[in-house]
Amino acid sequence: MEHSYAQALWQMVEKGMKPKEVVAKIREVLEKRGRLSILPKVGRAFARIAAREGARRAVVLSVAREKDAAGAKREMKDIFREMGIEAGDVEVRLDETLIGGWRLEGRERLHDASYKKYLLSVYNRATT
Amino acid sequence: MSNAVVEKIIKEIEAHVPSVESEHVGRVTSVGDGVVAIDGLSKAVMSEIILFEEGKGKPLAKSMEAQGELYGVILNLEEDGVRAAILGDTARVEEGMTVKSTGRILSVPSGEELLGRVVNALGEPIDGKGPFKKTTFMPVERQASGVMDRKSVSVPVQTGIKAIDAMIPIGRGQRELIIGDRGTGKTTIAVDTIISQRNEPQSSRPICIYVAIGQKESKTARIVEQLRKENAIEYTIVVDAPASAPAALQYLAPFSGAAIGEYFMDRGKDVVIIYDDLSKQAVAYRQLSLLLRRPPGREAYPGDIFYLHSRLLERACRLNEEKGGGSITALPIIETQEGDVSGYIPTNVISITDGQMFLVTDLFNKGIRPAIDVGISVSRVGSAAQTKAMKAVAGGIKLELAQFRELEAFMQFASDLDKATADRIESGRRMVEVLKQKNGAPIPMELQVAILYAASAKFFADVPVAKVTAVEAHLAEFLDGQYAKTLAAIKKTAVLSDELKKELTKALEEFRLAHPELFASK
Repeated sequence: MEHSYAQALWQMVEKGMKPKEVVAKIREVLEKRGRLSILPKVGRAFARIAAREGARRAVVLSVAREKDAAGAKREMKDIFREMGIEAGDVEVRLDETLIGGWRLEGRERLHDASYKKYLLSVYNRATT
Repeated sequence: MSNAVVEKIIKEIEAHVPSVESEHVGRVTSVGDGVVAIDGLSKAVMSEIILFEEGKGKPLAKSMEAQGELYGVILNLEEDGVRAAILGDTARVEEGMTVKSTGRILSVPSGEELLGRVVNALGEPIDGKGPFKKTTFMPVERQASGVMDRKSVSVPVQTGIKAIDAMIPIGRGQRELIIGDRGTGKTTIAVDTIISQRNEPQSSRPICIYVAIGQKESKTARIVEQLRKENAIEYTIVVDAPASAPAALQYLAPFSGAAIGEYFMDRGKDVVIIYDDLSKQAVAYRQLSLLLRRPPGREAYPGDIFYLHSRLLERACRLNEEKGGGSITALPIIETQEGDVSGYIPTNVISITDGQMFLVTDLFNKGIRPAIDVGISVSRVGSAAQTKAMKAVAGGIKLELAQFRELEAFMQFASDLDKATADRIESGRRMVEVLKQKNGAPIPMELQVAILYAASAKFFADVPVAKVTAVEAHLAEFLDGQYAKTLAAIKKTAVLSDELKKELTKALEEFRLAHPELFASK
């Protein structure tokens, strides 16, 4: 039940209502229905939704070396445009296992230009 | 790594043209019991194949060690993600793992190369004979052929089992259920049917597909070995989803078998497919459905359990000439508990199929094998496919046996019975003996006709009941040796003409004269 209230809370915030107002409204509704005790649970469910949505929206750029990030961002201008994000919105992470190149993941899309992916595909083609 | 592989790798690297393709992905949020919940993949479709990306965060060397790619199949599309079944080892999937959409609907390879091979539910070879070179991918889920594409059943499937070919005939394109408790000989009938196809001319011999669902590996290995020994493996494909395989693979195996069969049917060939057994598939599907949080219904089976079997068995059909004239004959097997045929799954499958043969533990224990209860076994469309020769000799057998079963209870009062009843009982006892058959020894149609002709002509009336089987074997040997031409004529014409009847009568007389000792005493 708390998940449905949390979902409603999230949708109201999404539509532009102020968080303070939204919480007050939910509190009022729960009080009227005699379910005020579940408010902390609603809060925790809301936090889970927020974390999930945050993860969904996050765009992570993985590079093997820190110095590769700037070059990679330049290469991905078109991809950023397509995804509707700015280079600054991207979280950069180091992943040495990529060997070289880059890998951009987020918003249900994956662009993998890492050396590791390439070498793996070469190996698989050669051995099967 | 061999030098050849190194050279290949160098060539591949030299020819590399960098390209970055965008892939549609999701993330595993939970995993357990062969089912994963995935966040994302909002554009995925039902039954789509997904690929788990195992190498993320692992060094290249470790990624190279992975045992092939790990796939899943989407079974639930939900508001905030999808749920999928893992088509492999669940232990390889981790929370947070990236999952890629492939845009492919689940399909399996099929083709001539699969003949004589053992494959898993995904069509991958598991017999150690190497990969397939040239195959065609067939969708695992496909709409069954429509009314206008079909034709009535008219060509028989010779099972080589007298009791079946005479009383419960099966036609090409029919769906005949084999049902019974465990250990009553269901699989034996199926395997004998496969072996019997070697008696068919190669041009019209059906391709056989044996789908093992939730069976012991040892049992499947034994069947494969038997088929190999009997030279039946060359026209057979075994699809194996053993008890140790994930539920998803056990659920998919019959559909994969049907897809493989459709390849041949589409090319005008006849196919016989055995689903051994659909009760285990139903259990696997129930497990999967409960894990996918679909609402449980009767006996905790999901609401679409009927549709699961009906859509599978509807794919068995006989196509008309315009569509190539191919066919798929389905022999699904259902295991009952304590002979209860009124269970949920048995009644479902009985209502879907075109007939059923019931195997009974009591008959099996009495030594009547195949242990078919002819009273409640039926073939609704098969008689249209029965050869005229068989029809001529089998007409009265079912009635005679039914009457015998009715009178059987009075056998203990044998001394008080009137002559007509006593004769009927004696005749019934001999007919039961004639219809007994060893497993793994299917009999060609023409020989069945000759033996049943002998039985209907009361040839065994003077033979002691205990010796009927032995006399029958002698007679078969005699006919095979001395009257091969007559048998060949029955096979060729499939009709028992007056002339052939005369020849058979003559043969029976000759046999009687040559072996008077067999008819000596009652």
